[in-house]
Amino acid sequence: MGKLKFEYRMELKLSSPVTDHYFALRCVPGDSLRQTVTLTQCDVSPADYISEAEDSFGNLKISGCCREPHDFFACRIRGTARTSGMLLQKGPLHPMYRYPSKYTGFESEVRDFAESVQEECRRNAAGTDMEKAVCAMHYLYTHFSYAPGATDIETTAAEALRLGKGVCQDYAHIMTAVMRYMKIPARYVNGLMIGEGFTHAWVEVYVNGGWYGFDPSNDLHIDEYYIKFAHGRDYGDCTVDKGRFLGKCIPETEYFCECGGYQ
Amino acid sequence: MGVISIEKVDHLYWLGRYTERVYTTLRIFFHIYDRLIEQPEGLYAEYCERLNIPDIYSSNRQFVQSYLFGEDNPDSVLLNMKRAYDNAVVLRDELSTTVLSYVQLALDTFESCRKTTAPLLELQQVLDDLLAFWGSADDYVEDEDCRNIMKCGKYVERLDLCIRMDYHAKYLEREYRKLCNRIGRTNLNYREENLKRLEDILIHESDPVKYRQEALCCLGGLFQ
Amino acid sequence: MFPFDAIPRVITHDAFTELEKGLIQRVDALNLFLNDIYGEKQIIRDGVVPEEFVFLSSGYLPQCEGITPPKGIYSHISGIDLVLGKDKEWYILEDNLRIPSGASYPMIAREICRRVSPETFRNHPVVDNRNYAKMLRETMDWVNTGGIPVIMTPGRYNAAYFEHSYLAERTGSERATCTDLSVENNYLYYRDRKQKVGVIYRRISDEYLDPMTFLPESLIGIPNLMDVYRSGNVAVVNAPGNGVADDKGIYYFVPKMIRYYLDQEPILKNAPTYLPFYQEDRNYVLEHLKDLVVKDVAEAGGYGVIFGNKLSAEELADLKTVIEKEPRRFIAQEVIDFQDMEIMDGDEKVLRKADLRAFVLSGEKTRVWASGLTRFSRNADSFVVNSSQGGGFKDTWVLSR
Repeated sequence: MGKLKFEYRMELKLSSPVTDHYFALRCVPGDSLRQTVTLTQCDVSPADYISEAEDSFGNLKISGCCREPHDFFACRIRGTARTSGMLLQKGPLHPMYRYPSKYTGFESEVRDFAESVQEECRRNAAGTDMEKAVCAMHYLYTHFSYAPGATDIETTAAEALRLGKGVCQDYAHIMTAVMRYMKIPARYVNGLMIGEGFTHAWVEVYVNGGWYGFDPSNDLHIDEYYIKFAHGRDYGDCTVDKGRFLGKCIPETEYFCECGGYQ
Repeated sequence: MGVISIEKVDHLYWLGRYTERVYTTLRIFFHIYDRLIEQPEGLYAEYCERLNIPDIYSSNRQFVQSYLFGEDNPDSVLLNMKRAYDNAVVLRDELSTTVLSYVQLALDTFESCRKTTAPLLELQQVLDDLLAFWGSADDYVEDEDCRNIMKCGKYVERLDLCIRMDYHAKYLEREYRKLCNRIGRTNLNYREENLKRLEDILIHESDPVKYRQEALCCLGGLFQ
Repeated sequence: MFPFDAIPRVITHDAFTELEKGLIQRVDALNLFLNDIYGEKQIIRDGVVPEEFVFLSSGYLPQCEGITPPKGIYSHISGIDLVLGKDKEWYILEDNLRIPSGASYPMIAREICRRVSPETFRNHPVVDNRNYAKMLRETMDWVNTGGIPVIMTPGRYNAAYFEHSYLAERTGSERATCTDLSVENNYLYYRDRKQKVGVIYRRISDEYLDPMTFLPESLIGIPNLMDVYRSGNVAVVNAPGNGVADDKGIYYFVPKMIRYYLDQEPILKNAPTYLPFYQEDRNYVLEHLKDLVVKDVAEAGGYGVIFGNKLSAEELADLKTVIEKEPRRFIAQEVIDFQDMEIMDGDEKVLRKADLRAFVLSGEKTRVWASGLTRFSRNADSFVVNSSQGGGFKDTWVLSR
């Protein structure tokens, strides 16, 4: 059992005032079988209204709007979480996690890569879905390089594979696509990882009647040092902060993330 | 503003009333005509009662013919069109030839479509001519007083018909305000108390339909 | 514009009664299917519809999972396209459960025809079709959550803008674009947040509806509308996510849905369709490929339609290989021999292909509008009847006796 404290801060500076600013945020971790969260702060401002709800994927979502002109917008979430690691979270499977999605389509790069993964599984005599997932993660970790700036939030699994490098989002998309191609349901997850100054992305795979987490960027099983914000078929379903406003300006966003143990 | 003779005032006022009577009754008639196509005989009886004209008709078909075109039917729309023309023809100086010609056109078109089996198509042209008449009147009738008197006649007539047909309260209020606006800009002698009572009924009463008869009396006696 | 042909399609009283029953049955089953797919998914668990046909459909929107629309109705306005075969039977071509358009054209055509030729209507018992707006308003009122009715248009430059404003006027709804509507505290408001909206008949497609939920680049949507809808504080007509039920692949399963949900035999026939996904159908398709029309499920609007009889031996062989490799991607249909209709070409009567879009409205009850949009192709050999591709339309008369 882990005890973590965390902070997520997003500050949006706008070079000139904007209006009709709508937002949808998925940066509040919710309770689940593997984490119990206590919030000490949850500020979103400025805002005319804020509403909290669960979305169709089961994530907490904060939405709202600020209509009046403003040149600064911030969101600050702080709290503590009790987490368990390497846990199979039993639960039903929604069939959508079996099929390719926008970022995880089965283009030729994905198919070819998945075929090599399957070959690797055979070589390593990985027979169960759990063994295959571990094998796939390791293969991806060793055949793809971590390179910030090579890709962006629009990059799909196939595009990242073509480049051969990317960031955690790309690792997660590729592994999700490969798992689904191998008929193992998988979903994309984002959240915080201990010691990381950014939000992180990883994967949950459906095996033995439950969801189990893998972090392909680090070749690690999800242990108690991760706090999950949200999941979906891919990045598009669980974007951490989404916003839209009217105005001509250059937006500049700063993030501050902290996740550490305490006691 | 020059002085207008009492006689001319009367012609202007009635020109406004008759052109409006033809215009609005034709528009109402378009809807009735559509219903007459397949609905049972005698549908016109209620219409006659509302407009307070004698029900002298024997069938849907005969009603259409006689009410629209009957030369010997004093309530026919064609005769009302002729009355409009009779008032207009003596006002050439005030109206200008251009404006007068649209009244003439409306009458000619009306007479020419007596024989058709689909009168609505051609009567649409009459509506267009009448709209052109009002449009050109705004432009070519130089004397503002003349225009205001014509419009007083127009709005009195429109209110009268719309009250009889139980138009929506919002619509009646709008037309009432147009009338007030015009009356205030003329030298016409009118009964202040009638106008006031009309306002009470049309704007402040919750159920103006109940006072329909009284409203019509106020309107009818406005200038007497 | 959409050219009008004065010769109407005439449907007899008895034929319409039968058609009506079949359409109501079909739309009721489709609504039950949508409820099931975004809810319990029993039809998948019972193996009637294979799940890949649902979850791989681009019309399936996971963002609609777990939402029950007001009164449980998903498809309030359904446009069902049919053709009349030479065997005098109606065949369903496709279901349109998203935003079927075109109902205003026959209404206006009728208004004009009655003026031009009142005798025709005096002498023939044609059911008046100008009650569509009233039916539409009743359908909207039934699901209204407490607020004004609004018809939302993408704006002046949309091809159907005329229809949007016409229907708004006729139903007594406010016509609005995205700038007239905004969300606050989980309610939708019209202009200056003074009037709450209870039902929105939106004439923009799902992906543009809410940039915070669907396409973020949409400039014609209402941000956070889906939150309001999820909370049950506004009815969206038609419900988002309906595309999963009018997909080419799902079409094959509609007769099965009717049996499954209603325990009835389908009254109206699908065009005979084969699903290579099933071994038995695949064998038939591969054997008879040259007599069939093959449609790619993933491709929309006339694309990806292959007529077997137009392929060379080599192309046929290639197509067979693709079908064997990706059987799920295709459906195959028998070519229907439809009855041609007379249209006026100058002063001459000629025969052309035509279909019928029937409008089915689901409110307190499911009702069929006693008319429809008959579209025909203007070129002799063409099957294409869309207004965007040079087709024209006819009034559709349903006889009252």
